Amino acid sequence: MTAIELRNASRWYGNVVAVNDVSCVLGAGITGLLGPNGAGKTTVLHMMAGLLMPSAGYVLIDGVAPANDSSIYRRLTLVPERESAYSFLTGREFVRMSARLQQLADAEDAATRAIRLVELEDAQHRKIGTYSKGMRQRIKVAAALVHNPDVVLLDEPFNGMDPRQRLHMMAVLREEAARGRVIVISSHILEELNDLADNVLVMVAGRLAASGHYRAIRRLMTDRPHTFMIRSSDDRRLAAALLSDASVFGVELSTNGNGSGIIVRTSERSTLTHHLPRAARDAGIRLLEIRPTDESLESVFSYLVER
Amino acid sequence: MSAFTVDRTLIWLSARQLFAKRRAVLALGLSLVPLVVALVFRLLVSNASGSSGDFLIGLARDLVIGALLPLTAVLFGTTAFGGDIEDGTLLYLLLKPVARWRVVIWKYLIAVVSTVAVMIPAILLPWFVVRGPDLPIQVPLSLLAGLVVGSVFYCAGFLALGAWTRRALVVGLLYVVAFEMVLSRNLTGVKSISAREFALAVSQKLLGNSAALVEKPVTIATIWTMGTLMLVVGVGLTLLKVRAYEAAERL
Repeated sequence: MTAIELRNASRWYGNVVAVNDVSCVLGAGITGLLGPNGAGKTTVLHMMAGLLMPSAGYVLIDGVAPANDSSIYRRLTLVPERESAYSFLTGREFVRMSARLQQLADAEDAATRAIRLVELEDAQHRKIGTYSKGMRQRIKVAAALVHNPDVVLLDEPFNGMDPRQRLHMMAVLREEAARGRVIVISSHILEELNDLADNVLVMVAGRLAASGHYRAIRRLMTDRPHTFMIRSSDDRRLAAALLSDASVFGVELSTNGNGSGIIVRTSERSTLTHHLPRAARDAGIRLLEIRPTDESLESVFSYLVER
Repeated sequence: MSAFTVDRTLIWLSARQLFAKRRAVLALGLSLVPLVVALVFRLLVSNASGSSGDFLIGLARDLVIGALLPLTAVLFGTTAFGGDIEDGTLLYLLLKPVARWRVVIWKYLIAVVSTVAVMIPAILLPWFVVRGPDLPIQVPLSLLAGLVVGSVFYCAGFLALGAWTRRALVVGLLYVVAFEMVLSRNLTGVKSISAREFALAVSQKLLGNSAALVEKPVTIATIWTMGTLMLVVGVGLTLLKVRAYEAAERL
């Protein structure tokens, strides 16, 4: 099983610390690398890709440092953020060139498969210079996946793609992850990774602020109240019943566009989830919907960044 | 699939890259300038005057080897890596299981071959127009040999310039004007590190006494020693830059 390991990895440029003492182990599946612009995401990706040497610490792919070892690129690939590609080549020439430089036995066949994967068959014979931004991203992904690498690093891969293309690319990446590949996607757009990433690494100012599944991260944030939206057959009576729970310190009646309900703030998520059904049953109230409102990746991210 | 496939792909990409740019068209245009000059000469001067030899030698020395060769080498040499580093496409080569020295060597060789290929018409076409009994085929072939030598050294320097500076074309042009067109023609000491002088010396050596291309050519020993040094420094510096290329620095 392929794994990426960062052990106290730091990287600085002169006096500027881009990445500071990051440690983590990434295995098969999709990992989202999140952070505001300038948080050090690209530097981390480039260290994983062997393009940057860590100034301190280690970056290892299956126990081997990728920097200065070009053979690693038989198993590892990176889709860079910059949209530049060889504008004078056709999409097919570009992907085929990648296949040939990977010394694949049948470069033509590999290029055909990779281009089909990103649904660019119709435009494959056009010069890349005539491609839209989204098409360039897709041809870059095709060129990167042409040799079926075990580790796929993508830097802002959805830039410039329209919603349909994004959904398709997400499906492609899910399929690749299901085959046991290690996929790391850097993005500053949270919606892209909300449903895609099994795990997230949140970078803030060069440091790793949190890692794991975003719901697990959220549950560990005990200093932040958990907020639930609850709809029931009698919201007012339910609100009164919940206030008797010591862990509930705020209940608010809500009438937004999604209908009426109550917003409950609690310090203890598990206490509320145990107390709520009992309180509803005792009061003869039917629960219609219970929804955590701050367990999204977006709220987890904003909590971490605000710290 | 083998290393041969990799080499073939690198050659193909490098050539496509050099000739995809408008500057290649400019270089081709420059190479035709001597033909125009030769046609004008042919129209104005009678064939019987016996001055064709002097004309062709002067044309080769002052225009082709003296100006067009370094200009063409600047265009191709600085483009070979400059473009990749500027727009980040170098990553697509570095993220492959290909040794970086291999990328550098092929880019360099293709820059040399392209420079020579573009300059061949600059010698052969004028010769064809003004040829006569005093201008056997050995004359243009000797001049072409000098062109090859000049290209080898010029491209090594300009390759490094393209890898290390963002304004490689401007710096390269300044070098051509200041060093090759002014200093190396006037300062004796500078001749021993001038690619132009190396090219002229090799051509003169092959021409023998049949034509006076240059009064005091640098010795072949100087070309071997100083040329090798220039070659190693130029290609070595480029390799150093590419080996240490860190994409994030350019973001």
